[in-house]
Amino acid sequence: MIAEKKYLQPASIQEALLMADRSENDFRFLAGGTDVMVNRWQGNETSSCLIDLSGIDELKQVTKQDNYLSIGSLVKLDELKYHSSIVSEFPALIEAADAVGSPLIRKSATLGGNILCENRCIYYNQSEWWRQAVGFCLKCEGNICIATGSKKNCYSEFVSDTAPALICMDALLEVVDKEGQRRIKLEEIFTGDGVRPRNLDKTAVIRSVLLPLHQEFRSVFNKLRQRQSLDFTSLTTAVSVDRNGKLKIVLGGVDPKPVVVEGTNRSDRKELIRLALKKSRAIDNEMFSRNYRREMIGVFLTRSFQRLLD
Amino acid sequence: MKSIKIKVSNREHELLIEEHETLAHVLRERIGLTGTKIGCEQGNCGACTVLLNSEPVLSCITPAMRCNKSEITTIEGVAENGELHLLQKKFVEKGAIQCGFCTPGMVMTSLDFVKKNPNASIDEIKDALSGNLCRCTGYKKIIEAVAETIYGENISGNGQENKSSDGKVIGTNQPYIEAEKKVQGKAEYADDIRLKNVLHCSFLRSSYPHAVIEHIDTTAASELEGVKYILTGHELPEKFGVLPISQDETALAIDKVRYIGEVVAAVAAETEEIAKAACKLIKVKYKPLRPFFEIDESLNDIGFDEKIHEHVKFNNNVHKKAELRFGNQAEGFHHSSYRSKMNFEFDGVTHAFTEPHAATANWDENGLTIITATQVPHYLHRALAKVLKLPLSRVRVIKSYVGGGFGGKSDPFPHEIIVSYLAMKTGRPVKIRFSREEVFISNHGRHPTKMTMELGTDTKGNFQVLDADISIDGGAYGSFGVVTSYYNGVLLQAPYKIENFGFKTYRVYTNKPQCGAMRGHGAVNSRFAMETLIDDLAHQMKTDPCELRLKNFMPFNTLTVGQYRITSNGSRESLMKVMEQSQWENRHGKLPFGHGLGVGCGFFISGSALPIIRNELPQSVVHLKVDFDGRVLITSGASDIGQGSDTMLAMIVAEVLGISMDKIFVLAADTLLTPVDLGSYSSRVTFMAGNAAKMAAENLKKEIISAVAVGKKVSADELNFSDDRIFTNDKTTDITWNEAIDIVTANRGAISVSGKYISPKLGGDFKGAGAGLSPSYSFGAVVAEVKVDTETGAVKVLNIWGAHDCGKAINPLAVEGQLEGSWHMGMGQAMSEQVKYFNGLLLNSNFLDYKIPTSLDTPPIHTNIIETADPEGPFGAKECGEGALHPVIPAIANAIFNAVGVRITKLPISAEDVLEKIKSSEIAYTAQETL
Repeated sequence: MIAEKKYLQPASIQEALLMADRSENDFRFLAGGTDVMVNRWQGNETSSCLIDLSGIDELKQVTKQDNYLSIGSLVKLDELKYHSSIVSEFPALIEAADAVGSPLIRKSATLGGNILCENRCIYYNQSEWWRQAVGFCLKCEGNICIATGSKKNCYSEFVSDTAPALICMDALLEVVDKEGQRRIKLEEIFTGDGVRPRNLDKTAVIRSVLLPLHQEFRSVFNKLRQRQSLDFTSLTTAVSVDRNGKLKIVLGGVDPKPVVVEGTNRSDRKELIRLALKKSRAIDNEMFSRNYRREMIGVFLTRSFQRLLD
Repeated sequence: MKSIKIKVSNREHELLIEEHETLAHVLRERIGLTGTKIGCEQGNCGACTVLLNSEPVLSCITPAMRCNKSEITTIEGVAENGELHLLQKKFVEKGAIQCGFCTPGMVMTSLDFVKKNPNASIDEIKDALSGNLCRCTGYKKIIEAVAETIYGENISGNGQENKSSDGKVIGTNQPYIEAEKKVQGKAEYADDIRLKNVLHCSFLRSSYPHAVIEHIDTTAASELEGVKYILTGHELPEKFGVLPISQDETALAIDKVRYIGEVVAAVAAETEEIAKAACKLIKVKYKPLRPFFEIDESLNDIGFDEKIHEHVKFNNNVHKKAELRFGNQAEGFHHSSYRSKMNFEFDGVTHAFTEPHAATANWDENGLTIITATQVPHYLHRALAKVLKLPLSRVRVIKSYVGGGFGGKSDPFPHEIIVSYLAMKTGRPVKIRFSREEVFISNHGRHPTKMTMELGTDTKGNFQVLDADISIDGGAYGSFGVVTSYYNGVLLQAPYKIENFGFKTYRVYTNKPQCGAMRGHGAVNSRFAMETLIDDLAHQMKTDPCELRLKNFMPFNTLTVGQYRITSNGSRESLMKVMEQSQWENRHGKLPFGHGLGVGCGFFISGSALPIIRNELPQSVVHLKVDFDGRVLITSGASDIGQGSDTMLAMIVAEVLGISMDKIFVLAADTLLTPVDLGSYSSRVTFMAGNAAKMAAENLKKEIISAVAVGKKVSADELNFSDDRIFTNDKTTDITWNEAIDIVTANRGAISVSGKYISPKLGGDFKGAGAGLSPSYSFGAVVAEVKVDTETGAVKVLNIWGAHDCGKAINPLAVEGQLEGSWHMGMGQAMSEQVKYFNGLLLNSNFLDYKIPTSLDTPPIHTNIIETADPEGPFGAKECGEGALHPVIPAIANAIFNAVGVRITKLPISAEDVLEKIKSSEIAYTAQETL
């Protein structure tokens, strides 16, 4: 009746890739599990094979490589603050990591897992019975978006808290797949399509996150949520300025992908906000309204600019 | 299946498990360690926290396979050799445990934290606990317990002493008598009960809000191996409901469904998985009907569409109209120089106790036995007999430990009837446990409400008139709704003296899960409106809102306009206390823009004077038995749901008999063994069961006095009971308790005595006079301090100062716990909680989207017990578990007005709404200036 369930525990990346290859697409990599396990419970993630990466030690290192700090994708969110190089050069990452879920979640959840955290929508993150009762939506193989009535586009929200902080500090991903290892800009893995929000091959493993050293980033991180713990983001803003005055704005929670706007410390602030708003395709699919979240983009960014530039 | 080896609390286990099983499931179902609780299954509540290789993890979302060759510590492994860990001792001693369901997870999280953070600050403790939800305590005592474990000192000034210097027990801080059991994960909740050969039950629930059931095809499901019985509605046609006047519910939907989530079919099978799989195979053909979701739709004539209930009188969906008027409102308005009238809107909120409903039923030669998480075994007993057509003598209801109720486990529930029936039909025990989503669907929470209220005062500030027009959304069935309809109005007749008063409430049926009684039943939303109007009048009159309240308070020993008998009344003391503590006079209206103080007062019943089912039975009976060993057994039907009623009974008996608590044993809430008590609702238990226990103890004392007087040849008037001894004034006779018991039981054996409580006859003779009648009433006040971010509209509550008149605090530790929990729950309704629907489908049926405040969202709570010695309460005590909730919500809203001039008329308070109003008032202000 039900496909045989498997739980595999590779000891190396190569072994993980091999296992993935043999699982014919009916598998899911598991890092901390705080996202995947909940999605499984809700019936939104049904792979019969789970490949647990948590035994792979090479994914848990924090090292300096060339001009980058390399943070293994399986470093737990709670552990980031114990690495002095992160604390001194990239404090916004600590702030972002501390904004994820609850202290308990952060003790299991990993950096890589949070970057790949599945997009959310109040009409999607529901039990199977619920979704069946309302009619399956685009994101769960139905043919309509419950939130907008659209037959084409899914606007499930990108909700990672750490990714906006990383992107605003020009993070790269070191990705390993069948083809080998490569580096890509973090923002490039996001498609903007709520159904398939990332373009990474399912069999790819993020080895590490690379943050450029000596850029002297100054960053401000903010998260809109109703409670001070547990809640997913309704709007994340991460803004940074590097030593050359390059300014980068990244928004989460207001679009199926992170919204990125670049400028300099001399750019017209209103124009930056206008651009950010223009790119944000927030819809009414969570507890805060679309209008309010959009309005808060302006408030959060203005405050961030004041802290960074005034 | 795979084999794993794990070491759990120092014991090796080699197990065969399903590869995708969670650690929580393995611990509970395969190893049988039920101390680890499952509250949400989605990593939100923290009840399932265990240590995996010394790190806390949420075992409900931790794959068990990952734990192979690992060491796990569960709550069962924290105490060593029977000795509690210091942290556990502190949890017990500080009153950090109420229902105890969150306790195991809370202890595991804290255990890791105290070990790694020997210098933690209070803020860091609050942060560390913010992934563990507690619904009972408001976190205050939990934070204290953790802090004292770290600092090793008493930081709160209480919890140390459990006996006063004069040997009295009443008025001393007593940890719950079952607290040690709860802190070690040994207390068995309904889902922890393990009967042999049990079948598991699962439900197929309606996915239509309002539809005719045309056909149910169970063929495929019945062919599934392991399925034992499939039940549909027609087998149980008898209607039930908690109130005799609204018996409108059946155990399963018959011929039509009235809300999404209503039970359409039930399957009993060998395993939970099979039962669930079978439910998916049942095919139901529905014919949709026009659904009604909003109050207004149901109030109006519905044309040719089908009504939700056939029995409704008119062509609409109005379930109940309640209206009462006193004095002359027109004249009252005529004499009102200042009037305030507003429209209010309240979203529904729900109890959100941490323990999901669960029950196990069994049928044998003694008839039916059901062990269930209920607040009211007695009404369930009656409902089961009625629906299952059994004599009352063939039904036994046993309450397990209950992980929180707050009104949400007080109705007889369909699942309780269904598993009972299935046990009868299959001859095997049948068990059910709800998912968190099913708990939310079952609801019975506070009614979504719309109201218009108007209050008038003369120039001197004497209230002249109050009028309220209320409509409440009852959902698909009656529940306590008729009472709720009245409570919305009648409980406004105090604490302020108002001669001209009237209200009208409509309760409507809608196609949503039913609403019922929730902490502060019926009166919370209207209290919010009332206190808001008072604040507005004070503003109009340029007078202090506390002064205006003080001016209008009723005295003690008086009658209200609707003939409630007010005896003790601590309104004034409560308000003065919080004014003083918050430095009201120096700070109100004197803080910078965005920062404010607000006040609210409250009033609630201390037990409904009338039983739900009219009969001549006492409302509470307590039996005491004492035998040769000197131990006093208390048997009582009262339900301890975490509020501490078992401890209260023991304290009262100990006090009367002058014996120590360890000579007392409480057996409660088993309808075979314990005498009838109407249960834990309407804040009645301390007053009624407490009085019954006191009478029983006094009767036992009389027996002992007469036997000892004869045996020792002393005057009966001269005997004293204290410190486990019975002695004459001059101590020429001075015997131990056990010696006295030897004398009493000689030639007679064990003695049993009884005590009872029957409320005095109260109230007027008009229709509706019975609503809200109580032998006593509680009063209270709250001052809240807030900061409002004027650019985002976000509100932060900085402080809550609360005072509540509970008559006499029998157990101050427990009273504080009730008050703090009430204020916390009220703050949740004010700030973040709401039951949201999408086309009749519950949108936020989990702890992520239904937002109970976490420890980080909870401000410092300053607790004050006000004692007024109620003339009829046991030792002067009255309620403290519900009434305290009322004033906190308007206090927060009024503080927002004080901070930014924005009047809150809609709950929960949303940042968006506040921001909108700040902006429009700025526009108005600017416009005014330009004029």
